[in-house]
Amino acid sequence: MSISTAPTETSPTRLMRAGEGAPTVLDVRDLRVTFSNDGRTVTAVDGVSFTVRKGRTLAIVGESGSGKSVTSLAIMRLLPEHSARISGSVAFEGRELLAEPKSAMRDLRGDRMAMIFQEPMTSLNPSYTVGEQINEVILRHRPFTKAQATEHGIAMLRLVRIPSPEQRYAQYPHNLSGGMRQRVMIAMALACDPELLIADEPTTALDVTIQAQVLDLMRELQGKTGAAIILITHDLGVVAEASDDVIVMYAGQVVEQCSVEDLFTFPQHPYTVGLLGSLPRLDEKRDRLVAITGTVPDMAEPPSGCRFQARCPFRIEKCAETPALAEITAGHFSRCWRAPLETLVP
Amino acid sequence: MNATAAAASGPIIEVRNVAKSFVVKRSVFGRPLARLAAVDDVSLALKPGETLAIVGESGCGKSTLGRLMMRLIEPTAGQVLIAGRDVTRMSHGAMREQRRHVQLIFQDPYASLNPRLTIGQTIAEPLMLQNIVPASQRPKRVAELLEMVGLRPELANRYPHEFSGGQRQRVVIARALAPEPDAIICDEAVSALDVSIQAQVLNLLKDLQKRLGLAYVFISHDLGVVKHIADRVAVMYLGKIVEIGTADEIFGAPRHPYTRALLSAITVAAPPSLQRARAARLHGDLPSPLSPPEGCRLHTRCPHARPACQTVDMSLDVEPSGHANACAFWRELPPQDEASRIREPRNAKLELLFGAFEAMAAETAASAAAKDAPVAGG
Ligand SMILES: Nc1ncnc2c1ncn2[C@@H]1O[C@H](COP(=O)(O)OP(=O)(O)OP(=O)(O)O)[C@@H](O)[C@H]1O
Ligand SMILES: Nc1ncnc2c1ncn2[C@@H]1O[C@H](COP(=O)(O)OP(=O)(O)O)[C@@H](O)[C@H]1O
Ligand code: SF4
Ligand code: SF4
Ligand SMILES: [Mg+2]
Ligand SMILES: [Mg+2]
Repeated sequence: MSISTAPTETSPTRLMRAGEGAPTVLDVRDLRVTFSNDGRTVTAVDGVSFTVRKGRTLAIVGESGSGKSVTSLAIMRLLPEHSARISGSVAFEGRELLAEPKSAMRDLRGDRMAMIFQEPMTSLNPSYTVGEQINEVILRHRPFTKAQATEHGIAMLRLVRIPSPEQRYAQYPHNLSGGMRQRVMIAMALACDPELLIADEPTTALDVTIQAQVLDLMRELQGKTGAAIILITHDLGVVAEASDDVIVMYAGQVVEQCSVEDLFTFPQHPYTVGLLGSLPRLDEKRDRLVAITGTVPDMAEPPSGCRFQARCPFRIEKCAETPALAEITAGHFSRCWRAPLETLVP
Repeated sequence: MNATAAAASGPIIEVRNVAKSFVVKRSVFGRPLARLAAVDDVSLALKPGETLAIVGESGCGKSTLGRLMMRLIEPTAGQVLIAGRDVTRMSHGAMREQRRHVQLIFQDPYASLNPRLTIGQTIAEPLMLQNIVPASQRPKRVAELLEMVGLRPELANRYPHEFSGGQRQRVVIARALAPEPDAIICDEAVSALDVSIQAQVLNLLKDLQKRLGLAYVFISHDLGVVKHIADRVAVMYLGKIVEIGTADEIFGAPRHPYTRALLSAITVAAPPSLQRARAARLHGDLPSPLSPPEGCRLHTRCPHARPACQTVDMSLDVEPSGHANACAFWRELPPQDEASRIREPRNAKLELLFGAFEAMAAETAASAAAKDAPVAGG
C-alpha cells in the first residue's frame, strides 16, 4: 500500500481556544523519539505537537506503551542519550530545549520545570530522609542556607497538607503512606515554583479519596502559582476532572486533540470511543464491557496506514492509507478517515 | 465444577471475628513494643459463585483480610473456615491441601511470574505441587487452561517477557485456575492494566465465573470496577468493616459517611459541564493505624462527627435486608445529597456511537471467526 501524499497537519496552534489569552509556556513541534538498542529501532514518539499555556492543564491519555512517558522524558531531556534520538522542537518559554547543553537542563529541571513520577517509592531515595531530599532540591537551585531550605521545605509540606511536617521532615520515605509520599513528591516538584509541571500518572498508585485530594491540591496550587501542567494518565476520569485540554495518544501518535468538554461530549476517534466504552459504567449494570479487541501494535514494526486499523471496528479500505490529524470541528482534531463520526450513527 | 459437599451447602470461606495484628517494634530483648491492628474483629462469609468486593483506602487491611481468608497468614484472634473446615490453627502441611480451594491473584502481572519459567511451566507448577493431574496429562491440561483464558496453546513455550501486561495477567489467572479452586482472591488483579485490557480481563473473569461456578473475593480500590463485577461489597476503614451490603445497596443507598465519601471521590468520565457537585469529600489523611482514633475511627475525618462519636463502638447495625453499617448515628444523618450521587450523564448521540462501535466490533469478530475457524483462541 503506497501512501500518496504526506499527511498535512492542521496547525495545532489553533487549538485550545478557551486558554487563548494565556501565554504559551511550552510549545512542542513534531517531536520524534527513536530508540536504537542492539539493532532494533523503535520510534516511540512519532510527530507529536502540542502547546501548553500558563495556568492550564493538558492531559495526555493513552494505553501503556503509547509514548506518553517518552514524550515527557524527551521534553525534560531525561532519556538515555546513547540510545534515544530526539528530533523536532521543544520550546520552553521561547528557549529551544533540544539545543540546550546538559548543564543548562540540569539547572532548569527542578527549578523552572519539574516532574512528578508515577511511583513515589522509586523516585524518592529510600536511604535519605524526606527533609534531606527536599533540601537537596532547594539548595541546588536557591541561594539558601540549610536552615532556610528546611524552613521553606517544611512550608512546602504544610502547603501539600502533610500533618506535623516538622516530624515528617526527619522521616524516611518508607515511614510515609503512599498518598503522603506522593504529596512529598508534589512538594518537592513545586519547591522552586516551576512554570511547568509534568505529572506522569501522579495519582495512579493512590486510592480514590487521596487521589481526589491530590487532584484538588494540584488544581489549587496551580491557581496560586499559575503553573502550566502536563498531566499524563491512562484514567479518563482523571482527565475529565483535572484538565482543560487533552491529547489522546495511540502507538506514538496523537490521534485526537481537543478540549476536555469536547472529548467527553462526542469523541471523534474510534480509539477514544473504545476507551470510553471499556470503562465500567457507574449508572447501569452491564454484563459485559465493550472491550477493544487485541493489543497495541509492536512499535518496532508499526503497521502502515492507520495504526489503529487492526483493532478498529469502523475500518474501511481507505484506512490502509495514513490519515492526518485533521480539524473536524472547531478546535477538535482527529486522525481518522471516517471522522466526523456523527456519520456513523443513525 | 469441583465444589466440595461442604462448599456447595455452606460458604466457601468464612471468617469469624478475625483479627490480625503485626508487631511493628520490638525491644532489644525481642518483646513486642508496638502492635498494628491491621484487621480488627471482622466477620464475613463468601458464598459459592458470588463476587464479594472489599474496598477501602490503602492500608485499611484489605490485603491482610484477603490473606486471612485463605489462611496464608494466621489470625491473631478469631476463626477461619475454608470449605466448612476450621483451618485457623492448621499446620503448614495440612494447609497445603486445603489451600487449593482458594487461590490468589495479585496486582502486578510482572512481578508475579517467574521470568525463568516458560508460561507452560508456570501453569503446570501447581498441577505438579498439588499432584492433581498425572504428569502425562499435564501438557494437555496446560493447553486447556491457556485456551480458557483466551491464549493460544502454542504460547506455552514462551517466556513472560514476551507477553504484554494483559496477557501476563491471563497467564496468572490460568495458573490460579490450575488447582481447580472454588474461590479466587483477586487482590487488585486488574488495577495495573489499561482500561481496554482491563475490560477484556474483567469480561474473562465474569465468563470463567459463569462457566466454573467460581466465587471471587475482589479486592480493589477502583469503585467503578467493583460496581461492575461485585454482587456484594464490604467497605473497610482502618481494619474494620464499616458497611456491607449488596452492590445495589452500597452504590444506590450508602448509609455510612465513609462509604458516601468514597463514592463521591470517584472520578467520572463526563464533560466538565456535567460533573456532579462534590459534597461528601473526606479531608485529612488516614490516621496512623498504629493508634487508630478512639470510638468511631472515622470521627477525625467524618463530616457528621459529633462529640459522642469519640466513645461509640463500631458494631454493625444490621437492617432486615442484611445491609449493615457501623455508624452509630446513621438514622439521623441527612439524606445523601442528590447532587453528589453518582451519575454518568451521557448524551443520546454518544450512546448511539458506543452502540455502533459494539455492533461493528461484534460483526468483525464474527466474520474473522468464520474466516479462520481452525485457529483457536485468537
Ligand atoms: N507484615 C506486616 N508487618 C507489619 N505491618 C503490616 C504487615 N502487613 C501489613 N501491615 C500493615 O497492616 C495494615 C493493613 O495492610 P494491608 O496490606 O492489609 O492494607 P491494604 O488495605 O491491602 O492496602 P493497599 O490498598 O495499600 O494494598 C497497614 O497499616 C500495613 O502497613
Ligand atoms: N529506554 C528505552 N529504550 C527502548 N525503548 C523504550 C525506552 N523507553 C521506552 N521505550 C518504548 O517506547 C514506547 C513508549 O513508552 P512509554 O512512553 O513509556 O509509554 P507510556 O505511554 O506507557 O508512558 C514503548 O514501546 C516502550 O517500550
Ligand atoms: S482511519 Fe480507519 S481504521 Fe483508523 S481509526 Fe479511522 S476508521 Fe478506524
Ligand atoms: S459514628 Fe460519628 S464519626 Fe462515625 S461515621 Fe457515624 S457520624 Fe461519623
Ligand atoms: Mg508511562
Ligand atoms: Mg493491598
